[in-house]
Amino acid sequence: MSADAPRTAAAGSKMVPLYCNQCVCGPDLFKVEVKDGVALRMTPNFDLEGVHPAGGRVCVKAYGLVQKTYNPNRITQPLKRTNPKKGKEHDPGFVPVSWDEALDIVAGKLNEIQAKGMRDEEGYPRLAASFGGGGTPTRYMGTFPAFLSAWGVIDQGYGSGQGAKCFHSEHLYGEFWHRAFTVVTDSLNCDYVINFGSNLEASGGVSGVWRQADARSRGLKRVQVEPHLSVTGALSGEWVPIKPKTDPAFMYALIHRIVLERNWREVCDVRFLQEDTNSPYLVGPHGYFMRDGASGKPLIWDLADAKAKPYDGAIADAAMEGAYTVSGYEEGPDGERWVHAQAEAKPSFELMREHIRQYTPEWAAAECDVPVETIRRVADEFVAHAKIGATITIEGVTLPHRPVGVMLGKGVNNGWGGYQAMWGRTMLACLVGALEVPGGTMGTKVRLNRPADNRLKSAKHGEDGFMTYPFNSTKKDEWQSKPHIRNAYKMLVPLAANSPWSAALGPAHLPWLFQHKAPKPWPRQTLPDMWICYRTNPAISSWNAPEVAKRIAEFPFTLAFGYTQDESNWMADVILPEATDLESWQMSRIGGTGSAEQFWHHQGWALRQPAVKPAGDCMDMTDISTELARRTGLLKKYNEAINRGSAAMALRGEGYDYALDPEVPHGAKEIWDAVAKAASHEVSGGTEIHGIDWFSEKGFMIRPFSQLEWYLYPRMKEQGLRFEMPYQERIKRHGEQLERRLHEIGIEWWNPQLKEYEALPGYLAFPDIWENYAAELGRDPKDFPLWALTSRSMQYAWGANVGLPLIREVAQNVSGHDGVIINRATAKKLGIADGDAIVLESASGITRGRATLREGIRPDTVLLIGQFDHWATPVAKDFGVASLNSLTDLAVSLTDATGSGADIMRVSVKKARA
Amino acid sequence: MNLNNLKPDGSMPAKRYGMIVDLNRCVGCQTCTIACKHSNDTPPGVQWRRVLDVEQGRFPDVERLFLVTGCQHCAEPSCVPVCPTGATRQRADGLVTMDYDLCIGCASCAVACPYQARTIVHEKEGYYAGGQTAQEKKTTHEDRYGVANKCTFCVERIDTAAVTGRVPGVDPEVTPACATSCITQAIRFGDFADPASTVSILAKDSRSFQMHAELGNDPQIKYLYEVPRSTPGRAADPDDLEDERQSDPTNPLVGKRQAFWDYRAAMNFILGGMASGLMVAAWFAHAVGLLAPEGLRRITAVAAAVMAVGLFFVFLKIGRKLRFLFVLLRPQSSWMTRETWCVAVIYPALAVSYAWPQYLHEALALLALAAAGFLLCQARILYASKGIPAWRAPLIPAMVIASGLAEGLGLLAILSLSATMQVAPVIVLAPAGLLLVIINTWAWRCYVDSAKAAGIGPLARLDLAAASPWIHATGHAVPLTMYLLCLAVAPLAQPFAALAGAGAVIGGALWKFVVITRACHQQGFAIPMQPQRGSGKRAAPERFALP
Repeated sequence: MSADAPRTAAAGSKMVPLYCNQCVCGPDLFKVEVKDGVALRMTPNFDLEGVHPAGGRVCVKAYGLVQKTYNPNRITQPLKRTNPKKGKEHDPGFVPVSWDEALDIVAGKLNEIQAKGMRDEEGYPRLAASFGGGGTPTRYMGTFPAFLSAWGVIDQGYGSGQGAKCFHSEHLYGEFWHRAFTVVTDSLNCDYVINFGSNLEASGGVSGVWRQADARSRGLKRVQVEPHLSVTGALSGEWVPIKPKTDPAFMYALIHRIVLERNWREVCDVRFLQEDTNSPYLVGPHGYFMRDGASGKPLIWDLADAKAKPYDGAIADAAMEGAYTVSGYEEGPDGERWVHAQAEAKPSFELMREHIRQYTPEWAAAECDVPVETIRRVADEFVAHAKIGATITIEGVTLPHRPVGVMLGKGVNNGWGGYQAMWGRTMLACLVGALEVPGGTMGTKVRLNRPADNRLKSAKHGEDGFMTYPFNSTKKDEWQSKPHIRNAYKMLVPLAANSPWSAALGPAHLPWLFQHKAPKPWPRQTLPDMWICYRTNPAISSWNAPEVAKRIAEFPFTLAFGYTQDESNWMADVILPEATDLESWQMSRIGGTGSAEQFWHHQGWALRQPAVKPAGDCMDMTDISTELARRTGLLKKYNEAINRGSAAMALRGEGYDYALDPEVPHGAKEIWDAVAKAASHEVSGGTEIHGIDWFSEKGFMIRPFSQLEWYLYPRMKEQGLRFEMPYQERIKRHGEQLERRLHEIGIEWWNPQLKEYEALPGYLAFPDIWENYAAELGRDPKDFPLWALTSRSMQYAWGANVGLPLIREVAQNVSGHDGVIINRATAKKLGIADGDAIVLESASGITRGRATLREGIRPDTVLLIGQFDHWATPVAKDFGVASLNSLTDLAVSLTDATGSGADIMRVSVKKARA
Repeated sequence: MNLNNLKPDGSMPAKRYGMIVDLNRCVGCQTCTIACKHSNDTPPGVQWRRVLDVEQGRFPDVERLFLVTGCQHCAEPSCVPVCPTGATRQRADGLVTMDYDLCIGCASCAVACPYQARTIVHEKEGYYAGGQTAQEKKTTHEDRYGVANKCTFCVERIDTAAVTGRVPGVDPEVTPACATSCITQAIRFGDFADPASTVSILAKDSRSFQMHAELGNDPQIKYLYEVPRSTPGRAADPDDLEDERQSDPTNPLVGKRQAFWDYRAAMNFILGGMASGLMVAAWFAHAVGLLAPEGLRRITAVAAAVMAVGLFFVFLKIGRKLRFLFVLLRPQSSWMTRETWCVAVIYPALAVSYAWPQYLHEALALLALAAAGFLLCQARILYASKGIPAWRAPLIPAMVIASGLAEGLGLLAILSLSATMQVAPVIVLAPAGLLLVIINTWAWRCYVDSAKAAGIGPLARLDLAAASPWIHATGHAVPLTMYLLCLAVAPLAQPFAALAGAGAVIGGALWKFVVITRACHQQGFAIPMQPQRGSGKRAAPERFALP
């Protein structure tokens, strides 16, 4: 299937098809009207109307791209720094230089690195690079990934906010449990959702927002549990204003209600729990699975004949409750074994019920500051809507239909409490058999498992009836005992795996923190010889952004690819202006499944193309990459990387060869022409090959994608796999092994994190961690009586569009874009009126803005939407809007075991002195 | 189009284009807002399609919702009859259109619209300091400055449909940009006259409301407020309608002071009102023999001069001054046109009274009639401003007329101090003055007391309340006292009458200034029915099973 002929535009103008991937929920497709070489207006690409999950539409942010192109504050010539002093207070003294000069400076530095060796004396990569969130920059950087691939050793572990700004724990545990880099509900078939702070209506992209609207019209009820009434809360049937960071307590109480107060056999999907999870696996006295002496397989007690059998044996009625005396062995850390001739073992489900017994609804009500009736009612509604036993037929295949889901927001699943929240959510899904089935909780894509382009195929048979998982080994002889990059994810976070994404999914804030003050012992952290900054602004977007700005200023050489002046490239040595969204070539995959709710019935490829000539001397990123490769002697490796598929897809494969001559440089259009041919070959199975000119006119090419590929459950059944819930034997073992490894080299400062590796995660008083943090800095926690949170701005998020007054104009229609949202009663007590200038202070930072008084927020909470506090970005620097990133802190104590923190801080709020 | 719906004569039925907005679907993302800006090239700050972020209730019982606003393309549009040039019209298919080349920028339509749909931009500006960008230059429409602008339902697209045979509301290229860009399908466009259209089906299958239905405009945006089959809507909570909420400037539903008609417009109502009143009063004085013909002519000339100053202020205010004569084009509906025609009688009649004194009596009689018409027109202009509750209040016409006459009489009393005006003893005028003062006092009192019932919001009522003592003192107490003294103390009748007149004039000016420039809050928005959702008592009802 291919696009219709482009619809006619107004006289004298043409409609040029492109894609927008400003956020992770894309790409979505649009057309821009061009007349006399000037881009005038945008429209959705309606050629996709019956194909795209949101009718071919794009969100508000895409419409900023025209103004983005003509922003008079753009950098349109390469710039060179003249002031050697770096820092917020030092004017960089940028002067325009020729491309030749700029590229020579950069290539000279790179060649110096090559001469010295790719790693420095401490073993850290000399070249570091940071990119904006969620992989979105890769849809704009042309063939730059091929350059990075040709280069080889790069430290991509300097975060620009991830860990707090991404779905960190969800990425790790989601992939571990059900191949879900991000987790959603199958809103197409869902009737009831408990949503803990996920701001889908602002962050779900057009597909997510469209599907949710359809679900609401169909009658889906969503209970939004969050401290402030977000855009998503607004569209929910019910808002439950919960105390920040207590969400796992709410979830545990729901589980308590279901498995202890209700007759769990009546309200749960017993078959699912018995057959599709590790619920019946027997756990021995040391907390590890009791294994069959002969096969080493975990045992299940069969009530039918009162015998323990390997999990994959013929089991008629798996025991879920009680205790059984069995023989077998447990395998603990580092291969330790406890052999039991006769030992008491309990099904993991029984242990889970015992574990959850302490978390009563009454306890949770006090912890969460939520009425206890609400907790019980929500639990009852959840199981009532689960339709245990119902089925649905999709494309001729009958599957379970469990129309209930649980969603988690970033502040919920990140940082301390993230593991518990993830476990609680996944457990709730398992209880009613609503994991990876139509209507239930499901994943979208994989980033840590392979193959990267097919999450279902990544579900492969591993140990004990579970899926494989590419843990970073914690075994004595295999453990990475020294950071290989500065955030040390292989060393500290077994779950972070080791894919190209892992660097960004490690504790990516630690390099900034350790550059200033590393704990002891820790290898000396050197500065990278060169840091590349592309489509990211960590000096604004990171937690404790002001601190990160200072650290960036210490880098000896920074190469920034710049659009306008911003707070990070303020510290650059060279800024190279790239041709932006409407000005450059690139092909991207579209369709299939992806964040947030991209569930397509098609997949294929789309083109981004120069609808207009680049502004000034701006250059296509592909051409910049080629030039850098040429000047660093990497041209052949670079071209070969392109041929291998580093930039898009392999140009040579079974039955086709569109590979480029690796010896000579190629222009951007030529490179993407080859990609277009390979892509069309893939889409059409080799029957319809199109070059770039065809795509320039048509915009995209697609083929059908089965809805059955949305759900992992059929694949699990086909492979005979179980979900690794509720009992976390592997997590526990890795925790114990990691503890030993770290202690062996004297590292004790990660001990709190090591405690998180529990087989059944326990609830801590998570709010206390943040409440007490002030004391760590020598401040009195009582001085910071309020919670400060953030929330997604659909209008700004990820768009690097704060310099566009058009976006600001429309964003201001949404409350919170001009001020800090404060509960009206709280503001009154503080003597603050709407619009008043206010100062927010945390133990580590300060930010200033205006007050916006609302009712839809807890009295103990304030909300700072988006990320602001700009001081260099034109237009935005005059906003006077406060930012949570100026209040949060980088700290080991605020970092959980997966290496994430949370976008939350205790603050004081005062009226600013006139 | 449902072809079974043809009229008996085989012709196509009249279309009635309109929109459905589903409150349960809209997420307030502003995609429609920005898509509209793209499609219609609106300048900075102008949003034909604006989505409000509304919060109702108080913690912990709160609801938040997003309200799509813009021109409602009313079936009975209050903006059309008030337009003095015919620039704003209603087409057979229901679209309310703008002809930028006819519009003079008088803003009558803007104050007549109860939906805040209209804007007038006078200065060409870009989004960035330092001038327009290349794209802005190419998308600037010179003809839209200084004139009224509003949502057109993307009329060009709909007109394209007639040529291409495509169907508005079905085919995106002939459907308004806000609807085709909406990422939740909260905004649907189509033909309400076609029962098979999506909008007709949605309107039939779900309950909806029209905003400000009580105003009688029959707006063609219908708001759906329930989750079909599961969660019925809920009437507005009394808490949301209480004065404190309705006077909260952060509440986007609350109308702000209109800025279309400023002191310059007020000056016309003030000076024009007293001048026309004077013309009428003088003619009556002449008719009953209190005023000689020459005096009548002189006084009328003075009144004409005062009126001219007022008219000049209006001239200063209009957006397209060179087109001011277009104001004469719509006598069939526009009170502003009629007012101008009255002016077109007044000055020639005055000229005739000087040029051909033999016709003085007839000319000035005609002039007085035109002046009375002028005063009536002023009353109706203000009253027709349906977008401003304080102006459309039922007492406003009576107040404008009674005040104009009282001021005119007052001016006559003042002018009588001058012998050249040849006014007979003013004591004779005092009873008439007294009567008018009493009427004015009573009218103002009733107006202020009935303000809430008349739909005037608490912010405007505060302005009225603040000004009321001053208005009573100057415009009512002083004239009342002075007229009584005039009657009681005959030797000093003249100065007392003059003082009474001065009070009436000042009081009249004051209330008009207050009503036109202070208590001039726009209608604001209302959500009479809303989805059940939010926290506490506003949350959707408990549901254990779906229907």
